[in-house]
Amino acid sequence: MEIRHDGGALKWILVTICFIFLAVFLLLPLGYIVATALGKGIEAYINAITDEYAIKAAMLTVEATIWAVTINTIFGIAAAWCLTKFAFSGKKILSTFIDLPVTVSPIIAGLIYVLTFGRQGALYSYLDSYNIQIIFAVPGIVLATIFVTFPFISRELIPVLTAQGTDEEEAAALMGAGTFTIFRKVTLPHIKWALLYGVVLCTARAMGEFGAVSVLSGHLRGKTNTLPLYIELLYQGYDFTGAFAASSLLVIMAVVVLILRLVLEQKGKKNLDIRK
Amino acid sequence: MNDYVVLKNINKHFKDFHASKDVNISIPKGRLAALLGPSGSGKTTILRMIAGLENPDSGDIIINGRVVNNIPGSERGIGFVFQSYALFRYMTVYNNIAFGLRVKKVPEKQIRERVKELLSLISCEGLDDRFPSQLSGGQRQRVAFARALAPNPQILLLDEPFAAIDAKVRLELRTWLKEMITKLHITSIFVTHDQDEAIEVADDIIVTNLGRVEQSGTPQELYSRPATPFVAQFIGNSIPVRNFDKFRFFEKDGEDVTAILRPEFVRVFKKGENIQFSKSAEEAVVEDIIFRGSNMEVRVRLHDNLISSSRSINEPPVDIGEKVDVFIYRLFVIDGDRIQLVHNPSLKQESVFI
Repeated sequence: MEIRHDGGALKWILVTICFIFLAVFLLLPLGYIVATALGKGIEAYINAITDEYAIKAAMLTVEATIWAVTINTIFGIAAAWCLTKFAFSGKKILSTFIDLPVTVSPIIAGLIYVLTFGRQGALYSYLDSYNIQIIFAVPGIVLATIFVTFPFISRELIPVLTAQGTDEEEAAALMGAGTFTIFRKVTLPHIKWALLYGVVLCTARAMGEFGAVSVLSGHLRGKTNTLPLYIELLYQGYDFTGAFAASSLLVIMAVVVLILRLVLEQKGKKNLDIRK
Repeated sequence: MNDYVVLKNINKHFKDFHASKDVNISIPKGRLAALLGPSGSGKTTILRMIAGLENPDSGDIIINGRVVNNIPGSERGIGFVFQSYALFRYMTVYNNIAFGLRVKKVPEKQIRERVKELLSLISCEGLDDRFPSQLSGGQRQRVAFARALAPNPQILLLDEPFAAIDAKVRLELRTWLKEMITKLHITSIFVTHDQDEAIEVADDIIVTNLGRVEQSGTPQELYSRPATPFVAQFIGNSIPVRNFDKFRFFEKDGEDVTAILRPEFVRVFKKGENIQFSKSAEEAVVEDIIFRGSNMEVRVRLHDNLISSSRSINEPPVDIGEKVDVFIYRLFVIDGDRIQLVHNPSLKQESVFI
């Protein structure tokens, strides 16, 4: 789609700026990661990424991400829906609090959970009596990841739902459709792409989460070390090949998510074309 | 009792805003009623309460003799056409119309027949697979109409049904809608702020203002016997006149008494043209002439009031600045809440003379 046909100099300046920016801030470091990871030969790289702890860390990252994305999808849809389709008191407060995790430093998020669920916390003895451990365990990591990523999906959905209004839902309700039918047939088709984008953002952010998780994990190798934490550990131990190899794993995971999004999007567009 | 939709002493607040004040309405079965009023007068609120989209704070909504306050809108036998149609934009025309039937678990074969029947009723055969975004404004409105009718409702509610359509198509659709509703004999209520629309389409008009019902009646009744000053001003191209006692033969008792003048109450004569009212007409100067196609609107200045009247294009033309004779047949005199039609007293006398 061409918006301006008089393009000329301005167009090329803008394009150049964008590409230089991308090259300097993205491609160069990424290339460096790959180069360093492969610096000691392909064998050292494969050894590094097939390391038992590296795999465990990757699995934990995937686990925490799946939990966070699932829970935040449910929460995000619920929050976006109630904020846009209903009038209730406390709406502004809810809307503001949803944004809190973006504005608060992840370290603080981690500390909040340590204070709540740690030994000094009020809930500790209660949870302990049921043998539930949160701090320095997987639940803590999942909690921290959820906290940090929870605005991503609802924030993508709110503008779309606001623009749509409530007429179509009211029309469906007047014809006797139940809430679930209305959601599935009327609301969901509308928010599908925004939801997908939100899920992608949420996934990416969840995989990379470091700060809050770092406070809560306790850095138990093979148990509570996520991939970012594992990378840091290797890096602090001057194991550059290992650190960058593990980093490349994280990069690959991110690229897979992006490709997945692209494929789904293309498929969706094709569906639309067929319908037209 | 023949009244199908009845609202009794309905009150509704939105926070501090009193949207409906003691609203009483009754609409007989099979009639086409218009809720007419300026924006913010509470007409849409009334419609939404009948549909069950809003609940009244007090009062009863009665449909077919049954109080429906606690019955959800979907069980009131209502079809609703939204202002912006609210067609499901991710569904085809077919699925839009079929939606209400599918919800009611009607067998797919019957649905197919019903949708086909409705598509031919709205003359949109062959559009089954289109999406709402691929339809023209008029087609969308018709599809919305068909979708509302699909489950065979007893009442059809329409919220500003013509607001989103351009002028030319609007006139066609008005006639079309009136024909359709008359043909189907379905009790219908539509909301509008356009008096021409209400007068042309509706059997009965309910005029609302500031949350109250000012008057209900046929268009003729509202036109000739407005019950309140608001209705007198709102209906027709009314012009308020304060100093009407300056007009020949008219008298004013009381400082706060005002009058309302409509173009059809006034006649403008070219000099010498006027024979019948030669003695009782007043002289005025033409200030403006507006060509209306079928007639000319002539605006004259009379005792500081800019008064409109129309002249046929078959009559000799008048020019701006020309001195003309103006005769006022009658006007509405408003004294507080009372309103009275006062005829020019000279009418009697002169008719005797001639």
